[in-house]
Amino acid sequence: MKQNASKAGGPNKLTKGLKNWNTFLVIVLVLEFVIFGAANERFLRIPLLLLSVNDFISICIISLFVTFVMITGGIDIQAGSIVGLTSIVIGVTWQDFGLPIWAAVALAVAVAALCGALSGFFIAYCRVQAMVITLGGSFLYSGIALLVSTLSSTESYQGISGFPDSFKFITSFKLFDLIPMQLVIFAVLVVIAYLLLHVSKYGRQVFLVGVNQDAAEFSGINSKLVILSTYVLSGISAAIAGIVLTSYLGTAKSDLGDTLTMNIITACVLGGTLSTGGKGSVIGTALASIIIGIMRFGMPLCFDVNTQYLDIPIGILLIVVVVGRAMVNKPRTAAILAGLKNKFTGAKA
Amino acid sequence: MADTTTSAGSEKLLSVRNVYKAFGLNTVLKGISLDLDRGEVLALIGGNGAGKSTLMKIIMGIYTPDKGEILVNGKGMAAGKTSEALASGVYMVPQEPLLFPNMSVEENIIIGFQRPRAELHKELVETMENIGWHIALDRKASSLSIAEQQLVEILRGLMRKAKVLILDEPTSALTFKEVESLFRCVEDLKANGIGIIYITHRLNEVFQIATTVAIMRDGVITLSGDVGEFNHNALVKGLLPTGAEQETKETSIPVDYGKEPVLELQNFSGYGFTDVSLKLYPGEILGLAGVVGAGRTEMATTIFGMDKVLGGKVLLNGKDITGMKTRDVIKAGLNYVPEDRHANGLFKISDVAANTTSAVLKGPKLGKFLLNKKTEREMTQKYVDDFRIKVTGQDQLTGSLSGGNQQKIVIGRSLCTDPKVVILDEPTRGIDAAARGDVYKIIHKLREEGVSILLISSDMEEIMELSDRAMTIYQGRVNCEFSKEDINQDNLTSAAFGLTKKEVGA
Amino acid sequence: MTAIKRLLKVRELSSLLFLIALFVIVSIINPSFASSENISACFNSSVVYMLVAVGMGFAVIVGEIDVSVGSNLGFVATVVGSMLRDGENWLLAFAVGILIGAAIGLFNGWGVSIMGVPSLIFTLGTNGILRGAMYVYSGGAWVENLPKAFKDFSSVNLVGDLTVYCCGCIILVAVIHLLLTKTRRGRYFTAVGDNPNGAVLVGISAVWTKVAAYIICGVMSALAGIIFCSRIGFITSTSGNGYEMKAVAACVLGGISLSGGVGSVVGAAIGSVIMSSISYLLVFMGFSSNYDNAITGIILIVIVVTDSLMQYRQSVRNRHERLSARTAGTVEGGASK
Repeated sequence: MKQNASKAGGPNKLTKGLKNWNTFLVIVLVLEFVIFGAANERFLRIPLLLLSVNDFISICIISLFVTFVMITGGIDIQAGSIVGLTSIVIGVTWQDFGLPIWAAVALAVAVAALCGALSGFFIAYCRVQAMVITLGGSFLYSGIALLVSTLSSTESYQGISGFPDSFKFITSFKLFDLIPMQLVIFAVLVVIAYLLLHVSKYGRQVFLVGVNQDAAEFSGINSKLVILSTYVLSGISAAIAGIVLTSYLGTAKSDLGDTLTMNIITACVLGGTLSTGGKGSVIGTALASIIIGIMRFGMPLCFDVNTQYLDIPIGILLIVVVVGRAMVNKPRTAAILAGLKNKFTGAKA
Repeated sequence: MADTTTSAGSEKLLSVRNVYKAFGLNTVLKGISLDLDRGEVLALIGGNGAGKSTLMKIIMGIYTPDKGEILVNGKGMAAGKTSEALASGVYMVPQEPLLFPNMSVEENIIIGFQRPRAELHKELVETMENIGWHIALDRKASSLSIAEQQLVEILRGLMRKAKVLILDEPTSALTFKEVESLFRCVEDLKANGIGIIYITHRLNEVFQIATTVAIMRDGVITLSGDVGEFNHNALVKGLLPTGAEQETKETSIPVDYGKEPVLELQNFSGYGFTDVSLKLYPGEILGLAGVVGAGRTEMATTIFGMDKVLGGKVLLNGKDITGMKTRDVIKAGLNYVPEDRHANGLFKISDVAANTTSAVLKGPKLGKFLLNKKTEREMTQKYVDDFRIKVTGQDQLTGSLSGGNQQKIVIGRSLCTDPKVVILDEPTRGIDAAARGDVYKIIHKLREEGVSILLISSDMEEIMELSDRAMTIYQGRVNCEFSKEDINQDNLTSAAFGLTKKEVGA
Repeated sequence: MTAIKRLLKVRELSSLLFLIALFVIVSIINPSFASSENISACFNSSVVYMLVAVGMGFAVIVGEIDVSVGSNLGFVATVVGSMLRDGENWLLAFAVGILIGAAIGLFNGWGVSIMGVPSLIFTLGTNGILRGAMYVYSGGAWVENLPKAFKDFSSVNLVGDLTVYCCGCIILVAVIHLLLTKTRRGRYFTAVGDNPNGAVLVGISAVWTKVAAYIICGVMSALAGIIFCSRIGFITSTSGNGYEMKAVAACVLGGISLSGGVGSVVGAAIGSVIMSSISYLLVFMGFSSNYDNAITGIILIVIVVTDSLMQYRQSVRNRHERLSARTAGTVEGGASK
């Protein structure tokens, strides 16, 4: 079960920390704009900036709801594979099975929710570690996506394209001729997630289950159902990301979203979600995911960093945040840290 | 403070000098000093939360003391180093044995040694021969009973040539026979010059095996000396909070036993308890006394829908609630304040308000879909005021509160659901005397408001102080019932220990 | 009699039986499979997985996980491959590879065990850093043109159709297994995973045992990376992707409990043979390799769910038995009946 003792350390600092944390994130975001803007004035061109949203909108959308999962003390590393599954289901059912495009979309969302529910069921009701199940899930759902793609007459590496305009509209429409629809969708999802997590009774249950599942059961909360529901939510959010991505790219492929996992987890953790559960915020995650997105956009543009190198700063960011948090809780280890640090800086280079 | 042992002799086997320890705001040890000689059996007694286990963990080097030192044979030990404690011959048999469940008995005993396996095996067999205990060495530890696990732990200590052996409530899960053989073993060890700290809260055991005794209360040693200097009553006095010389019980409204019972158990059976029948009347406090492990908590959690019912019925206001899910039991009007508030009661990194209202999230009280924060505030404030819970605000995290305030919040949580019956399981475990008084006041007040209370406790004084009627549970069965006049320490204690005749006490 | 019973309880044995059953079933469906060549091929192709899985086994046995093994493998392969391509001394290249692996392990061990960060999250970060570092090091290009002798060494058979690597690997696993079960310190890993608090009580340092487990895990992954170079002959920027997943699956298949404390490296090795054989066997059963991932996922999920349910049942049963024993202890009986 969960170790509550480890969470008790300096709890008061934590809440205050979380409020300050969002301020901190805003500062980081502003800094990003200042630094990238100074390095390359093209960065600040609004249309270009808004266009860049497409490259990281999936991270933003999914991490919002993976935050729910992580607050219950779980983790979700299957969301990426559900993105691909959604995409290919839309493509195949529309092109090869002749479903109307919106029916195909609805079906894809249902499939994604079902995938989330299946993993959630095993995690909540069979008490398997979330990590292992979603690991298996990532295999299974990407495998199914691959199999679905073989049902199509189109070769899977090409991807299914030629979607109707009504479907492309999702990403081609611009509000006030400026703001892309994806951002609007993201904003709506932020509001929904915020209401669910921070204003509704459901959100309170999510938190309580994450803090202490046993105590939640003693309070009459159906903790298993709550846990399951968070995986359904993250599955649906992955489906939405898959729809947006498919619409934007104009092609349905089974391997979309393969590389999202670490970015999503980083966004959640950077956003202030406690990796052991019980704490987290929608605003924090939203801010953190935008920070990551801007970083992914700005670094190649302004500092000529190869896109493929971006895993390094994201990985470092993740580790710095989690280790930093751990250090706040364990001041005693700071001394050991100092000693070991020297060794590492030598070994890692 | 009232510590009579002089810490002059530096050649004592074990000396604890002026040890302080606090967890957060909760100071658990406030200057403890004690000494142990070779061949001495020091009985350390104290209620739950007195700080005994913390002190032992400090001696073992599992915790680092905030202040003070530990000497073995006059040599100071580095604080917080288990390996050093082990090397100097200190070994603790913890209350809940910490074996490796997936290893064999033999591996469990010889792990951590730096000598050849064959040699250890031979020695182990000899040791077992010496004390006359036999246990299959190739059994997996997970298949052992608690008593057998304790045996394995003691063997571990003996194999380590322990000079100081700490036994932390070793008899709490043992049968009578097992206790006897344990005592024989302790006698042997004593004769071999091993110093033993024997932690217990069973007073009669003290007179059976201890040579010296020390009483701990609220983090200080209140009383210590040779066993011969004390009798049963003197020890009880040491355990009682100072000045708690039995306040005159306010005569409250008598219970009307003519009414229909609110809660009725009919031959109720489950895992850990069998065939329990009882009736709880409106506005009554029914004390259910029993030692740890007697099946009290299991009974309560089974009523509360946490475990499988094996037989019998639970009626709440005549309505059958047997085997219902927890949330339905709460809805029907029964709530339970768990024994282990850290594991099952508190949401430590959540605030006071979220803790207080956690049990009403299911009903319509706090709004349909959205959380009505205003109602939540009011509801929380009511309990904060009524129970005099010391908080800096409703947004304070409960993990940073003292034990007493935490307990009040957990009680408040269960009352939020407007229960007709509340089961309080060890409501004052691990909280200080002042908070205890507050909790008692809350319980009395509830009774006046017509809430019926089933009070589970291993603290006989608590039962005496509060109950209108009392029952005792022993090895899973209710074995005695006492009306208000008959409730006294002797009756309760002897019944709770399964002795039907009065023979405990002086 | 008891010997047989005890043997049946050995978790590794059921994995081995599963593997044999798999071979038998495939042979029945497609008799052309049943040749020493094919079965050896299953073992030969599992060498890299086996090393990674054994390393992962250490992390899992102490109750943690390491999802950076795949990129560790990839990074070491990139570095060692480039060095060999550039004509560096082989031994030097190998030594550098192993050292990198150990350093990565130490880094993970520091984060997880000393700093107390949840292992999945920390190693996920390490994974990202290494994955990026691979691109930086190779410039995104393939590492090719490794010395021919080095590549050819991978197809030298030692015993029957089994390659040198395969035999070496089996010996290595056997040696590690003996070290783990027969030495004092070897048992520490299982002990720490089994009950960390209990370990502390008998003077075993849970913290350093976990650090050691991570270092071993890193070294094994590095070793796998070197053999990867030799067997495959070229390294792309995605080499090693997904190995972490298959390694976890192999551990679970081999009977290592993910809650720690149960299992052995032999189990991990057997599990890895099962995992790596699946795609090979699918071909013989007439499925396309497209089924690979889905079937891997299903096997993984089914096994962990069954394992978890069985363990849960067992723990509930133990608790109930213990509680019942207490009430049964009332020999003289209470007041009732």
